[in-house]
Amino acid sequence: MNLTELAQGEKAHVRDFSAVSKIVQRRLVQLGVKENEEICLKRKLPFGGPCMIETCGLCISIRLDEAMRIEVRK
Amino acid sequence: MMHAQQIALIGNPNTGKTSLFNSLTGSYEYVGNWSGVTVEKKVGIIKKQLGELIDLPGIYTISPISKDEGVVTDFLLQDSFTDILNIVDASQLKRNLQLTVQLLELGKPMVIGLNMTDVAKLRGIKIDYQCLSSSLGIPVMPIVARTGKGCKDLINYFKENEKKTIHPLTLDYGPVVESAIGRITSLLTAYNVQHKRWMALQILEGNNRILSQIKGFSHLQELEQICSQTESELLNKNIAQTLQQHIHHIREAYIDSLLNSSVSISKQSMPTLTDQVDRIVTHKLLGIPIFLGLMFLMFMLTFDWLGFPLSDLLDAFFTGPLTDAIESFLQVIGASAFIEALVLNGIVSGVGGVLVFIPQIFILFFFLSLLEDSGYMARVAVVMDRLMEGIGLNGKAFIPLIIGFGCNVPGVMAARTIEQPKERMLTIMLTPFMSCSARLPVYALFVGAFFAKYQALVVLSLYLLGIFVALIVAKVMSSTTYKNEKSLFIMELPPYRLPQVRTLWRSTWEKGKGFIRKAGTYIFGGSVLIWFLSYAGPSGFAVDMNDSFLALIGGLIAPILIPLGFGTWQAAASLLTGFLAKEVVVATMSIIYFVPEAQLQGFMVEQFSPLSAYGFMVFVLLYVPCLATVAVIKKESHSKKWMFLSIAYGLSIAYILVLIIYQVGKLVGLA
Ligand SMILES: Nc1nc2c(ncn2[C@@H]2O[C@H](COP(=O)(O)OP(=O)(O)OP(=O)(O)O)[C@@H](O)[C@H]2O)c(=O)[nH]1
Ligand SMILES: [Mg+2]
Repeated sequence: MNLTELAQGEKAHVRDFSAVSKIVQRRLVQLGVKENEEICLKRKLPFGGPCMIETCGLCISIRLDEAMRIEVRK
Repeated sequence: MMHAQQIALIGNPNTGKTSLFNSLTGSYEYVGNWSGVTVEKKVGIIKKQLGELIDLPGIYTISPISKDEGVVTDFLLQDSFTDILNIVDASQLKRNLQLTVQLLELGKPMVIGLNMTDVAKLRGIKIDYQCLSSSLGIPVMPIVARTGKGCKDLINYFKENEKKTIHPLTLDYGPVVESAIGRITSLLTAYNVQHKRWMALQILEGNNRILSQIKGFSHLQELEQICSQTESELLNKNIAQTLQQHIHHIREAYIDSLLNSSVSISKQSMPTLTDQVDRIVTHKLLGIPIFLGLMFLMFMLTFDWLGFPLSDLLDAFFTGPLTDAIESFLQVIGASAFIEALVLNGIVSGVGGVLVFIPQIFILFFFLSLLEDSGYMARVAVVMDRLMEGIGLNGKAFIPLIIGFGCNVPGVMAARTIEQPKERMLTIMLTPFMSCSARLPVYALFVGAFFAKYQALVVLSLYLLGIFVALIVAKVMSSTTYKNEKSLFIMELPPYRLPQVRTLWRSTWEKGKGFIRKAGTYIFGGSVLIWFLSYAGPSGFAVDMNDSFLALIGGLIAPILIPLGFGTWQAAASLLTGFLAKEVVVATMSIIYFVPEAQLQGFMVEQFSPLSAYGFMVFVLLYVPCLATVAVIKKESHSKKWMFLSIAYGLSIAYILVLIIYQVGKLVGLA
């Protein structure tokens, strides 16, 4: 399943995020996102807007289409 | 004077580098609670002349993605410095130490300033500084940059100045990467470069910026080959997905072992205040209304409830007691009629005409500072992202636009943090449409005369119009000039921080100071010149103003402005001078309309109708960026083309829009 399929506030572990676009992927690594790291989908904004995720005690916002490319497992 | 020490402040974004810079140097640079506040190098002198302190943009790693990060890479490779002061956020140790490791690998003398120890304490993070320091092999100093706690120890450390030489940290990156490092270092031996291992690692991480620093480098292809070979080998052997991730993991393992022995976390945190506030301000439906509501509140306070009465009081003081006092002083010293006219009609009405708006400008700046220091700014970017995506930009571009409400110059600079070059250029081009504080006196003057009842609403409409025009221009530009680049968005949301009174005041004052300084320079000079041009004419001095040089010059342009509803030489002359700085429009008007004893606003009512007054404000909002903004656009885009384009865009949009407003308004009978 991908990250956006989680319910709001639900936690999961990152399985693979190599499909995310290169620059965003690099930033995510810099911010501490990595495989097997716990990740929480905090909120999705309406009209296909960005979503807010939390990992390693840090809140990050990325677009929905990028979040859909992050594979997670519960 | 060359200082013995040059200390570079390097650390992750938003960790308090600039706060520390300010408290160690006693100066003031821009502080705010989001990532990417500082976008250029700033040098200050540490108190008691201990040495130079260099403030830099924040970075996560030395491989730059955006332009502000590139500043740091260039600095590390080109500039000379003696020490690194690495600022580390104690509440985010694991992530921050990634950069620390890279700096240790470089092997420059280094100290860690462990900042935000107050936040770490609140979250129950206990750090054994001694232990951390001895495992890293460099001093670790706990500080709280924003209150100045621990800064004394730092200063003492730099005073003692007994520097150990430092050996670069060497981690084992595993056989695959180590063999690649070996191959790259042997390639690099052909060139005169230092820190070969460090460079090799950086190249493997994808840091292209450092290659451009090697003179005459010709092994690009080999390098690319080594990198891609290594990457696929890692993938094949199932070690890691990418090189960057692999290197990150190795460093993380080292960091974990450090933290295991020196950090303990005593309690798991409950839902924080940040979570609760975020639940409201980034609410599904309420997010944008809340933002607009806050903006509205800001305008009501600035223009209506608080700012307007204060400005009125100041105005009464300037035109009454102050003018009288200066007048009698000039009579006492026996000044000539020329001097008296220059001082009273030129300087006092010109400069004073602008200074009366100080209260409003300070209130606006206060709110902007509040927005910047609280952490709400990053949320605005998130809330606005969907809208911005629709026009080919991302939410991050909204931050420069908001900063542009204060002044367009830092707004244009702030665009440096935007990752995609296309989006960055677009943002630079849009920022001049943001109604900066220099345009505020023009609005205040006109709404006072024509729209006394609806001041705040009329001004709000102008601000929104500026944003609206900017969005349309962005849409047009992004769907014509740059169709192919994908828009990206990723934003870190910092925890909210209650702004301190001291910081707020300081940041308001620093912005306001610029306005007052401008009044003393540009506006003063402009006022003298304009007054002189209105005093002298082809037939000599003290002519009737309608026969002055100013009327002559304005009269040349006035015909073009007739379709817009303000085709008078007065309006034309003020607009012309506004290119210097937008406040000068008001200075000019005060001088022009003050010369007869008539009241300014009474005089203006003769020349403008409410409709043409509104048109005039719209024109001032859009027509050309001021001189300083034009200069910074040229600097940031490295091209004259964009600079001229920004002027041409502004002028034509202003003209067309005001033409429509005026002509349609006349048709429906508003004139
Ligand atoms: N609680 C707390 N807040 C701090 C401390 N130091 C700085 N801050 C706050 O952290 C925020 C960021 O501070 P800056 O000094 O702008 O950070 P910076 O590292 O220069 O940020 P960039 O220029 O974006 O890289 C501001 O809101 C400061 O008030 C500290 O020791 N404790
Ligand atoms: Mg800074």
